[in-house]
Amino acid sequence: MRNLIISKKFVFLITVLLVISITLAGCGGQNNSNASGQKQSNVPVQIVFYAQNSTPITDFDPSVEFSNGVVTLNNIYETLLRYDPLEKKFTPVLATDYNKSEDGLTWTFHIRKGVKFHDGTDLNAEAVKFSIERTINLGKGASFIWEPVKEINVKDEYTVEFKLKYPAPMDLIASSAYAAFIMSPTAVKSNPEGWLTQGHEAGTGPYKLESFQMGQEVVLTKFDDYWGGWDGKHFDKAIIKKIPETATRRQMVEKGEVDITRDLPYEDVEALKNNQNLVVETGPSFENLLMLFNTDKKPLDNKLVRQALSYAFPYDDVVKYAMGGYATQARGAVPYGLWGHGENLFQYKYDLEKAKELLKQAGYPNGGFKLLLTYTAGDEAEKKTAELYKSELSKLNIELEIRAMPWESQWEMAKDKDPDKRQDIFAFYWWPDIASPYSYLYNMFHSQDDILFNLAYWENVEFDNLVDEGSRQSGIDMTKAEELFIKAQEILTEEAPAIFVYDKQYIKIFNKSLKGYKDNPAYPNVVFFYETYREK
Amino acid sequence: MFGKMFSPEVLKPQIRELKLSIYLLNKNKLTRLSMITVILLIAFAILAPFIAPYPSHIYGIANPQDKLLPPSAKYIFGTDELGRDVFSRVLYGTRISLQTAILAVGLALLIGIPLGAIAGATGGYVDEIIMRITDIFLSFPPLLLAIAIAAFLGPNLQNAMLAIAISWWPWYTRLVRGQAVSIRERQFVKAAKAIGTPHFKIVFGHIVPNCIAPVIVQASMDLGGVILTAASLSFLGLGAQPPTPEWGLMVSTSRNYFLNAWWYSFFPGIAIFITVLAFNLLGDGLREIMDPKTRKY
Repeated sequence: MRNLIISKKFVFLITVLLVISITLAGCGGQNNSNASGQKQSNVPVQIVFYAQNSTPITDFDPSVEFSNGVVTLNNIYETLLRYDPLEKKFTPVLATDYNKSEDGLTWTFHIRKGVKFHDGTDLNAEAVKFSIERTINLGKGASFIWEPVKEINVKDEYTVEFKLKYPAPMDLIASSAYAAFIMSPTAVKSNPEGWLTQGHEAGTGPYKLESFQMGQEVVLTKFDDYWGGWDGKHFDKAIIKKIPETATRRQMVEKGEVDITRDLPYEDVEALKNNQNLVVETGPSFENLLMLFNTDKKPLDNKLVRQALSYAFPYDDVVKYAMGGYATQARGAVPYGLWGHGENLFQYKYDLEKAKELLKQAGYPNGGFKLLLTYTAGDEAEKKTAELYKSELSKLNIELEIRAMPWESQWEMAKDKDPDKRQDIFAFYWWPDIASPYSYLYNMFHSQDDILFNLAYWENVEFDNLVDEGSRQSGIDMTKAEELFIKAQEILTEEAPAIFVYDKQYIKIFNKSLKGYKDNPAYPNVVFFYETYREK
Repeated sequence: MFGKMFSPEVLKPQIRELKLSIYLLNKNKLTRLSMITVILLIAFAILAPFIAPYPSHIYGIANPQDKLLPPSAKYIFGTDELGRDVFSRVLYGTRISLQTAILAVGLALLIGIPLGAIAGATGGYVDEIIMRITDIFLSFPPLLLAIAIAAFLGPNLQNAMLAIAISWWPWYTRLVRGQAVSIRERQFVKAAKAIGTPHFKIVFGHIVPNCIAPVIVQASMDLGGVILTAASLSFLGLGAQPPTPEWGLMVSTSRNYFLNAWWYSFFPGIAIFITVLAFNLLGDGLREIMDPKTRKY
């Protein structure tokens, strides 16, 4: 019976270990919350805590960052203008006003006086010229938005003039969520290269960088000399933290440890709606999900197959079950609410019979092929969408292999030198850099010599011409531009290089005491902390 | 050989040995319980597609109208986020887990035993080289090594299996080598050498069969560990891909829903727990039978 005793001891030991570890883990959590709780009550600073699933920033260089850093950078740095796409209005930020010439080729911006950079130097026209030229010359991130700029001239201390190669909407470009930040030339020049990337900043924004842990957390603290002043109610500090577990985020926001969070499963959102202490806010976003077909590869090089696969997609189920209803089926590539969205564009509907017929015409009467779909690991909505699609495709005898990959690997695979080794379907989100249809149509579908975001590998001369012309026109005549962009999307829906799945709605969950928050879809996921305050 | 085994005079000790084994297996309650559990698990693995109430849910056919329903008469383990029956999927998960574990351990044995036997029986430089390579592999924690290999090979179940095998074989090599070194000095090996039996035949004909007992014990205990590792890899997104009903993957997905749907993470989790425990206890029991020193009768 010795063994039995050992086993009993063993089980006992395991139990004890389990209890200890659970207790310790619990204590750890409690300690943390105590610490932050104390901070809030003993020190008279107002802190706002924003928890999300993405890293707060990937590169601190405002000319380079073209990723999750949009939240952090838009609080540290400022742009010349800010765009409200729902009201189609520009708010002056670092520029007080601006005007353009008749032909749309010369734009003059008047720079705000009395603005200080975080290093103490003053903002002037020279700094604006320096910042934008630096971004252009580095040629990284979203620097392509400045493509139309021929030269930047300093007219006087507070006036900047942009000369363009062709007409373009400079007001939209200057208010871009990426790559349009103004930084202090003194700080950038006096420090070695890479200084910004290493975690320094030189902005004019209301908050400066206090501390950070790369990939984890960014702590911002108020900049006393901010031009907007600190009268009225504002937060002294802001914490942006990555908390990957949705359950943890939910619990933290429920307990009031976190002020704002997003990207919770829809089941949780429904449950939180009943919570008296929380506000669940939803609204239109400019983020949409697309399934980009590999149009280089058989059988997806056949338009009929692509159309068939567009008919086989369970749009309603995906909106209802993958997105919990917080989305609408997309119509074309430009999302609802943004100018250039085609209200009368053709929209595919789920229709398996039609799909079968098209497959027959294409020479695949019984399906019988395999497709590989890649999506970003950890994205529940993409995963559910993919599984729902797989379920439908199996009815057509098409085997869909779903592969969850870290974004980097997914990206690498899409760029493989050998087109046969690339995925067949790429689940892809797009959100705008500049709030223009051009951002969507050019980046994802315009032919590219070096593939960047055209992951459908699609080329169509007629489409290219329409998009290019649309971009030119948007500097002169928006109505004309809009027509061209919609016309371009007619080609897109006919050729079906992608399935236009849904236009997402933003869902933000925040504490009731947090006031002043207003979502702006042109700045996806950004909370402008300066505008928010706490009121019990 | 077989003919001889069944002749009356040889049969007796065989039966005696078998009877003893069964007696020993039966004597320890925990071992008996684990034995029954393992047999049940194997039965589930084989019969899963036939006894699952919703076979189509196993292969990922979605049924979203019924999403996240609590356990009921219709769905005894509830449903997942796409309305699939958790019971059917957990049941089929047994097959995937056992398959993965047996193949991974089998592969590890296939690499580990010959290397260990050769190293132990030959000695000298061969021993040094093999064992130093083994040491290199052993210097990494097995899960960490498996994660690295799985990440490198790309995420799918076969690669996860391969990754586990690659991180597991050194343990068997070391175990077998230790045995082989002691067996090498035994009289029957020396006798075989004296009559000129080729080295190869000595290693695989005499040494390997005689160090197999502890390997079997170790392997049966490892099955549990391997299932856990495979589930961990899937949990991390490096193993099975959706919609495969793999336990680790199910637990991983269910994390997003467990505040509202406890059943979704609970049942696959408990399946992992029972399976791992059963194999561990079975291994314990087998050691008692195989190793006369620990026997008490």
